[in-house]
Amino acid sequence: MNVVFEIYFAVFAIFASLLITELMGAVVLLLFWKQAKSKVLDYIVPIWEVTGTFAALVVVTGDFAYPTLLVPVASIFAPLLTVFLILIVARNASIVFAEFIIKRKWLDKEKLFKLYAVSTLVLGITVLIILSALISGAGVNFSQKNFSFAAWLSSPGSLLFVVGALGIGIGVAPVFFSLRSMKNRVLPLTGTGIGLSVLAYYLYSPSFVSVLMLIPVGLTLLVGVLFWVSKKIAAVVSNKAIFIAVLSIIIFSLQFLVYPSAIGGAVSIDAVTTSSSLTSAYFSITAVGGVLLAVLLGFYMSIAMRSRNSRIEERLK
Amino acid sequence: MLDASSTIILFDRFLFAFTIASHIILVSLSIALIIIISIAEFISIRRNDIYYSALSKRLSKVFAIIFGIGTASGIVMAVELVTLFPTFMTLVSQTGAILVFYVEIFAFFLETIALVMYLYYADYFSRYKHWILSIFVASGALLSAILITMLNAWMNTPNGFDAVSFIQSGEITGIDAWAPFLTSSTLAEVAHVLPTVLFAGVMLVGGYFAWRYIKSKGIEEKKMLTKGLKIASAIAVGMIVLAILTGMNEITTLLQLQPLKYSAIELNPVPGTDLPEKLFGTLVNGQLQGYIEIPHLQSFLVQIETGITHLPGLSQFPASTWPPLYVHITFDIMVLGGFSLGLFFLAYFVEWKILKKKPYESKLFLHSWIPLSFVALILMELGWVTAEVGRQPWIIYNVMTTKDAANYSGGFLVPGILIILFYVILLPLTFYFFSRVFSSNSMPEEEKGKQKAVSGMDVN
Repeated sequence: MNVVFEIYFAVFAIFASLLITELMGAVVLLLFWKQAKSKVLDYIVPIWEVTGTFAALVVVTGDFAYPTLLVPVASIFAPLLTVFLILIVARNASIVFAEFIIKRKWLDKEKLFKLYAVSTLVLGITVLIILSALISGAGVNFSQKNFSFAAWLSSPGSLLFVVGALGIGIGVAPVFFSLRSMKNRVLPLTGTGIGLSVLAYYLYSPSFVSVLMLIPVGLTLLVGVLFWVSKKIAAVVSNKAIFIAVLSIIIFSLQFLVYPSAIGGAVSIDAVTTSSSLTSAYFSITAVGGVLLAVLLGFYMSIAMRSRNSRIEERLK
Repeated sequence: MLDASSTIILFDRFLFAFTIASHIILVSLSIALIIIISIAEFISIRRNDIYYSALSKRLSKVFAIIFGIGTASGIVMAVELVTLFPTFMTLVSQTGAILVFYVEIFAFFLETIALVMYLYYADYFSRYKHWILSIFVASGALLSAILITMLNAWMNTPNGFDAVSFIQSGEITGIDAWAPFLTSSTLAEVAHVLPTVLFAGVMLVGGYFAWRYIKSKGIEEKKMLTKGLKIASAIAVGMIVLAILTGMNEITTLLQLQPLKYSAIELNPVPGTDLPEKLFGTLVNGQLQGYIEIPHLQSFLVQIETGITHLPGLSQFPASTWPPLYVHITFDIMVLGGFSLGLFFLAYFVEWKILKKKPYESKLFLHSWIPLSFVALILMELGWVTAEVGRQPWIIYNVMTTKDAANYSGGFLVPGILIILFYVILLPLTFYFFSRVFSSNSMPEEEKGKQKAVSGMDVN
């Protein structure tokens, strides 16, 4: 068992879960601003800062875990990473300005929150493109250390991967934001998203579609079904902490897509994982830092659940 | 003419320098703001003072803005380090230096999560508990700053691995995971960086208060701004003293640990005893030109502090390893500017504590503070330029050159220009927004207690 990889992937799974929940919120904000703004912003406005911090944690744990991959990754993904950076600055700036803006002639909260939503959506798509390349190697020329967007696009499965993932995200969004009026859209959209995603994986490599796929597929469908069945059960699956925990497990269970090999088999993860004598110190810091983080997040979640962030509603009036 | 790879490395360096130069403004403001907020909130609770209370509420909104932009800027830097200097990060990642980064992220989490609770769930906490949250936010911010400075100290005096073996074979051996947390330059560097960063941030916030005070016609608002100026002045006086003392210690640490860097910033062409202090000037064909000489001063100061009498000079080192000598100019401006600010605050202190007057309401001091706040910011940036350019050509002193560390793929050129343009637009917009948000309430409204919540989400 590659413990360093497991820690890295766990951190990535939590970051991805938080980003996906923001992505879901972004789509809902863009499509159903009036009906959903209160519920969505109540969640997003505090959490976006935590998502950003997790992004930094992913970068640093990645630096530690795969030092020899830094040079090729830096070259291959430089343009996409820059787009990511510009979008993250745009996302932070638009949401923080939206929180405090005093209405100007043409600029108001709604426009800025929607700008945040668009930035987050495009940022999510950028991350999906990078992920699909890391999984399949589509568009990546590892020997020449470059990435071709055209080659990525022409690879069967690439677009399906992005559309499928977005479909799942949009499909389960009403569950997360407890929008019962949209419950009938959950299963058809989620099911279509899962279907497209599985097809994308198959097109990348038939070996991806194995019995291991049952865990993420089963859990995702279960969330949709439970939300649809009854109001009482829906309240449980719509609980933010439970949903994020389940989503993290789903993403964590997808590790077979990049382990034992990634970038379409070009990279053996075990071969590139650090094996230095730093690991025991790394584990110690992870244990202490992990406990601190769990306590802080637990405390935050418990307060967020007991004390509604009513100020968002006030400010949106 | 520069060849393609030289152009790329020059651009890589410029892009990172631009990003970090922008980022440290946000960092210094963040640290200063949260400390002022915490002090103001504490006093408001102890004295039940509505002006301090209004001040902490307004500043907490401003802090949220600066923090939000600063977070994004921090992520930009973390990713740029990997994309622009991947070989450097490869070495960092295989030594204990990466663990310094790793711990820094947890400090960042402490700041972020405490801030989220402080801003958005203020009603949940009693007044004292809410104030304690501000201490957690400030602790996270300070710890982050300390840890990043520790990493910079490691770049100046690398340890925790066998550097000789690495230079010879490229193999990383003899790893001591915890050593980078305390290198031979760590204490001196942290001790100097913290007060200077806090000083620059407090000067900016104080400068803003002074500007608003002059502009404001409302008595209530002036009272609130006076309280803000009192806090800012007290911190500034303390920090400028610390910055000068630790700065003197830092220069003697350089003398002992990085003699080449010392020689460059003091512009010593040759080693020797009884050396003068040279203000400004440059070296042309081995000859000093255009400088003002103060005889004996350099040796005198060093001897008082360290007992060392023989000082190093550039001629002891191969010219190919010299940093650009303009670091002497940036250093001189920084020192002269620092002492001038020190004199300003000495006068301020005398006026305030000895003559028992109110310099924070004096037109002269208020008008002086505004330009001086920009001077403090420029001096902080110059200090950073001196430290970083003074280490060139090395990115890790005597171990790895910046050239060897850089990414030559060129894929960052166009997107990098976009990042720069983005910052050029965003930073002024952020400061404009800072001002708009701070002044968006009228004091009487706050005084009547119409606005109860402390958070940044409770107005308008």
